[in-house]
Amino acid sequence: MADGSKVLDVAGVSKRFGALEVLSDISFQVEKGETVCVLGPSGSGKSTLLRCINWLERPDAGQVYLNGTEIGVNGAGVVMSDRELSRIRTRIGMVFQHFALWPHLTVLQNLMEAPVQVQRRPTAEVRDEALALLAKVGLVDKRDTFPAKLSGGQKQRVGIARALAMRPDLLLFDEPTSALDPELVGEVLVVMRELAREGRTMVVVTHEMGFARDAATRIMFLDRGRMVETGSPERFFTNPETERARQFLQRYAGDAANGKR
Amino acid sequence: MSGGDVLAILQGAVVTVTLSLFGILIGLPIGLALAVLRWADVPVLARIVAAYVSILRATPLITLLLLLFFALPNIGIAIGPISAAILALVMNTAAFNCEVWRASLMNFPKDQYEAAQSVGMSATLRFRRIVLPQIARTSLPGLVNEMSLLIKVTPVLAVVGVVDITRAAVRIGAETYDPLPPFLVAVALYAPIVFVLVSLQRWIERRQLLAEAAA
Amino acid sequence: MIRDFGIVWSERDLLLSGLGNTTILSLLSAIAALLIGFALTPALMTRQRALGWIARGFVDGMRCVPFLLFAYIVYYGLPSLGIRLDNWTSGLVALTIYNAAYMAEILRGAWAAQPREPIEAGVAFGFSNIGLFRRIVLPPLLLAAGPVIGNQMIQIVKDSAFLTIIALPELTHAASSIQSRHYVPFAAFITAVFLYWGLCLVIEAGVSSVDRLAAARR
Repeated sequence: MADGSKVLDVAGVSKRFGALEVLSDISFQVEKGETVCVLGPSGSGKSTLLRCINWLERPDAGQVYLNGTEIGVNGAGVVMSDRELSRIRTRIGMVFQHFALWPHLTVLQNLMEAPVQVQRRPTAEVRDEALALLAKVGLVDKRDTFPAKLSGGQKQRVGIARALAMRPDLLLFDEPTSALDPELVGEVLVVMRELAREGRTMVVVTHEMGFARDAATRIMFLDRGRMVETGSPERFFTNPETERARQFLQRYAGDAANGKR
Repeated sequence: MSGGDVLAILQGAVVTVTLSLFGILIGLPIGLALAVLRWADVPVLARIVAAYVSILRATPLITLLLLLFFALPNIGIAIGPISAAILALVMNTAAFNCEVWRASLMNFPKDQYEAAQSVGMSATLRFRRIVLPQIARTSLPGLVNEMSLLIKVTPVLAVVGVVDITRAAVRIGAETYDPLPPFLVAVALYAPIVFVLVSLQRWIERRQLLAEAAA
Repeated sequence: MIRDFGIVWSERDLLLSGLGNTTILSLLSAIAALLIGFALTPALMTRQRALGWIARGFVDGMRCVPFLLFAYIVYYGLPSLGIRLDNWTSGLVALTIYNAAYMAEILRGAWAAQPREPIEAGVAFGFSNIGLFRRIVLPPLLLAAGPVIGNQMIQIVKDSAFLTIIALPELTHAASSIQSRHYVPFAAFITAVFLYWGLCLVIEAGVSSVDRLAAARR
């Protein structure tokens, strides 16, 4: 359940690519234990927003705070060095649309690489935790397999376990099931639902309306770089406030209404 | 460096181009023949070709040239610098061309070949009308690459006395005690020839990529 | 003929020393060329126009010049500009600079074919600078470029033979010396040919093992 501490605080973030304003003055907060689903049509800036949170993209305006610490700009008001950014990023776990597993490492090595190399945690401890996480996502038997030999759904479950291995304060999901064949989507959503149920703090960019309706504690609807609407899933899906949201749901309502996933 | 000197280097260029052409024109069909021998897996010969290609690709051209130039007269075969040069170039380039042709042959779609067989084409006809035109196309970038590499090793012929661009430049440098200008002229002659071939290769590759994308 | 090979065998120290020099020269040059290539590759891909032009000019230039001529220029031509190098240094410098251009092009091609997302994941997980390069960028790059780099190493071994013209005591020079003193051209040069072949087989074996590592991960 959400308590009072704000894990993520996004204030007035804007981003443009050339002449195109991809994000306009986005502000929101995420409390501990919340699962925020970011919805919106293609090109609405959802992925860019996610990438601005951990400064994979650098916002042109606005601030981002993780547990009160500003990301990207240090205490002296100077843009952070790669090392300073690296320290903050280790507290944010990210799951990528195309999995982004490291191809030269086995599944287990993928999970252990960043905790050992970046967080400098003891290898034995990291290994035990990694194996436990693999068990959690149902892939212990694949621990010595290379990513190329896995199915899409398996790769993404590894991706989620890899993010969890960092013991992050916040999990970011960038369209985690969009690159999957339909029959593989379910196995990933099962894991994500479990994480939401456990009370992980998650921001999920997705097109899976069923998941958003069932697992989200809050919906944020983006359209053309602006946050058009935000609210509880019940209200958003049954009685959206804005016209754009209504139009969007028209196209996707079928999935949610039919109780798909 | 006088005008006469530049002329001498240009004459060397004629020798370079002529010998290169000989090497390329003779090496191409021989390379194809070697590749076919391996592809058709002719008993004994295929193995010999494999060994030949492996050794030739590992042998520096200068070593091969010295071997031919000094060893052949020793066993009774009289050979002059020009013949030794052409022989060395051909032996070398044939081995590399063989691998280029062989790669195309191995990637040749089997079903086309079987289709030709099923309509009763003879082996020669199959090869000449179905296989050859297509492998000629796919081999082209690799073959042109090999041509540019051949031009770049021709200076080695200077070592046995063939007066090509390099030997002319070296001689003038030795005579005038000013080696740099003739060398730079030599570079100015080699570079455009190689550059044309390299650009040709890139152009062919790009055109083939576009043709594939459109198909 | 047997007698000829007997003579070559009696000169085996010279041949082995030549082989040793060829190996050392090729190895040092290959490593140096690869390192310089790593430094050149970002210059090839940079958006700064002047730097990109210079890098591209250098790489294309080296690919259009015959190596033997380049070696001549380094050894005989540079003294005109006041730079006098001995034959070992000239040979090493010529071989290294020439092949650095090829290595840069190889690395650029391999880099362009690499997917970007795993590297971005590396950044997102806190890798940066040296760590990112060493543990995330480099391994897949080397696995992909292994065979091509191996081929270039074979090319370096063969180019090293050209350096006999500047009296560098490598393998071909040793064989020539034996030939001219004992008049056993066939035995001497054939032995050299087989030694080159052996050296290349060793390089190819190395490439095969790298390729096996790569294949397991494909």
